[in-house]
Amino acid sequence: MNVSEIKKDFPILKREVNGKLLTYLDSGATSQKPNLVIDAMSDIYKENNANVHRGTYVLSAETTQKYENVRNIFKDFINANSSDEIIFTKGCTEGFNFLANSLTKNLESGDEIILSEIEHHANLIPWQMAAKKHNLKINFVKIDKNFNLDMSHFDSLLSEKTKIVSIVGESNISGMLTEIKNMSELIKSKSNAYFIVDGAQLVPHRKVDVQKLGIDFLCVSGHKMLGPTGIGVVWGKKEILESMEPVYGGGDMIEEVFYESATWAPIPHKFEAGTPPYVEAIGLGFAVEYLNNLTMEAVEEHSNSLRDYAKSKLENVEGLNIIHSSSDIAGCTFAMSIDGVHSSDMSIMLDTHGVAVRSGHHCVQPFHRKLDLDSTFRATGYIYNDERDFDILATAIEDCVGLLK
Amino acid sequence: MSIQEKIDNYKKTLSLFPNPQEKYQYLIEQAKFNDDFPENLKIDEFKVNGCQSQVWLVPEEQDSKLYFKSDSDALIAKGLVTLISSIYSGETANDIVNSEADLMEEFELGVILSPARRNGAFSMLKKIKDFASGLTD
Repeated sequence: MNVSEIKKDFPILKREVNGKLLTYLDSGATSQKPNLVIDAMSDIYKENNANVHRGTYVLSAETTQKYENVRNIFKDFINANSSDEIIFTKGCTEGFNFLANSLTKNLESGDEIILSEIEHHANLIPWQMAAKKHNLKINFVKIDKNFNLDMSHFDSLLSEKTKIVSIVGESNISGMLTEIKNMSELIKSKSNAYFIVDGAQLVPHRKVDVQKLGIDFLCVSGHKMLGPTGIGVVWGKKEILESMEPVYGGGDMIEEVFYESATWAPIPHKFEAGTPPYVEAIGLGFAVEYLNNLTMEAVEEHSNSLRDYAKSKLENVEGLNIIHSSSDIAGCTFAMSIDGVHSSDMSIMLDTHGVAVRSGHHCVQPFHRKLDLDSTFRATGYIYNDERDFDILATAIEDCVGLLK
Repeated sequence: MSIQEKIDNYKKTLSLFPNPQEKYQYLIEQAKFNDDFPENLKIDEFKVNGCQSQVWLVPEEQDSKLYFKSDSDALIAKGLVTLISSIYSGETANDIVNSEADLMEEFELGVILSPARRNGAFSMLKKIKDFASGLTD
C-alpha cells in the first residue's frame, strides 16, 4: 500500500500543529476523512438534499436512493445475506444500547450474559443497565498476562443459562484480536446464546465476513473507518431481527398508526425511528468505497506490518511499559505507561511535537483498575500512518520523558 | 497585589516563553516548588472533578481571606493549579467571586487552557469560586 499517496487524500494531514507537521496517531478514537467522503457529503447538501422516504419529488427520490444504496454497499462489505440486515445507528454505543434493550426483553431472572474484562464502556454499561432491570448475571472472560482472552475461562463460563455473549473483536487497548470463529463454535456447542461482536476497531482494519464468522450481530462505528461521526451500523441475522421488538418509536418505523396502538414497518426500518442521518450514511458509503478501492486485504496487511514495526520500535524505548497482545497478529494499537510519568503530561508534551495521541482510560476503566493503572497514553495506526510516524512518536516520547522525570 | 495584577504578572512571565513546550516546562517547574501538600487531604471532598489527572484544592480561611493549597498526580496540571491557587490566595471571598478574569484567554496555554467547559482549568477555577461563594452573603 502506498501510504504517501494515501496521505494526500486526507487534507487534515497537511496541517501543522505547534509548528510541526501533524503526526496523527489517534485513529482508535476517530479516523481522519478522505476528500472523497468530505466532498460527497458537501455535494449532497449542494445538489440533492431532501428528507428521505417521504418525498414525492426528485430531490427526495435521489437522496433516498443514495441513502438506501449504502445498505447494499455495507451488505457486500461485511458479506451479509441481505441489505435488510443493515440497521443504521449513531455508532457502536447506540448499537449496543439498542441490542441490550431489545434482546433482554424476554430474558428471565438469573439468565447470564458474557462480556470480557477488556470491553469498551459502550459494550459494558448498556448490559449493566439491562442486567439491573431484568435481574441478569454478567460474567467476565478473563484477560491473561499476555493481554489476550483466556479461552479456557470463556469455555468454563458458558452454559445453557448463557443467553448473550458480547465481545470486542479487536481491542482498543491491547490490539488483541478475538478468536471469533472459535468462540462462535464454542457458544453453539454449549448454549443457544446470541453472539455479538463489537466491531468498532475490527471492521476498519480487517476483512470481516459475518457469515463465515458464525456470529449473530456486529456493531460498527462509521467515524472510525473514514466515515463521518453520527453514523454506524448494527448488522443482525434477518430471522433474529424480525423477531425483535423496536426500542425507539416515532416516524418512519411504523406500518399503521391508531390512537391506541401501532404496527411496525418491516426490518430494517422498524428499528430506525425519525429522520435518519442520511447524509452521514451516504458519507459512510463513500468511506467503504475508499476502503474497497484499497482492498481490505491490503488494509489488513498494512495494519499487521505497521504493528510489527511499531512494536519493535516502541519496545526499544527505555522505561516504556506497553500493554499489547503477545499474539503474532494483533491490531496496531498500543496503550503505554511510564513509571513516574502521568499519561496526561505525556500526551500534552507529545502534542508540542505535533504528535496526537490520547491519554486516559480509553473508556475501559475497569481494566485499567485491574492493571493498577490510573491511565495510559495510546497510539493507534491506520492506513495513512507509516513507519516514520512511529519513528517520530518514539523519538518524541524519549524527549518528553527527559522533561517529565 | 490584586487578582488582576497577579494574573498580569504571570501573563508577563509566560509570554517570555514563545513556544508551548517552554510554557509547559515553566508550569512543571512551578509544580516542583509546590511540595508540601499533606497526604491526608487527598480526599474526595477536595478533589477537582473534570480533570484528566487527580487534582486537589483545599481552601483555608484566615483573617477573612482565603488561601488555597493544591496538588495533582500529573505535573502540568499541578503547575496549573499551583498558579491558579497563588492567584486567588490571600483574597477575600467577595473579590474572588467578583473577579471576571478569563484565565483561558489571558494565558494562551494551548491545549490545557482550551475554552472547553469540561477542561481541567475550568473545573479548578469553578472549585475556587464555589468555595468563595459559599462564604459570601
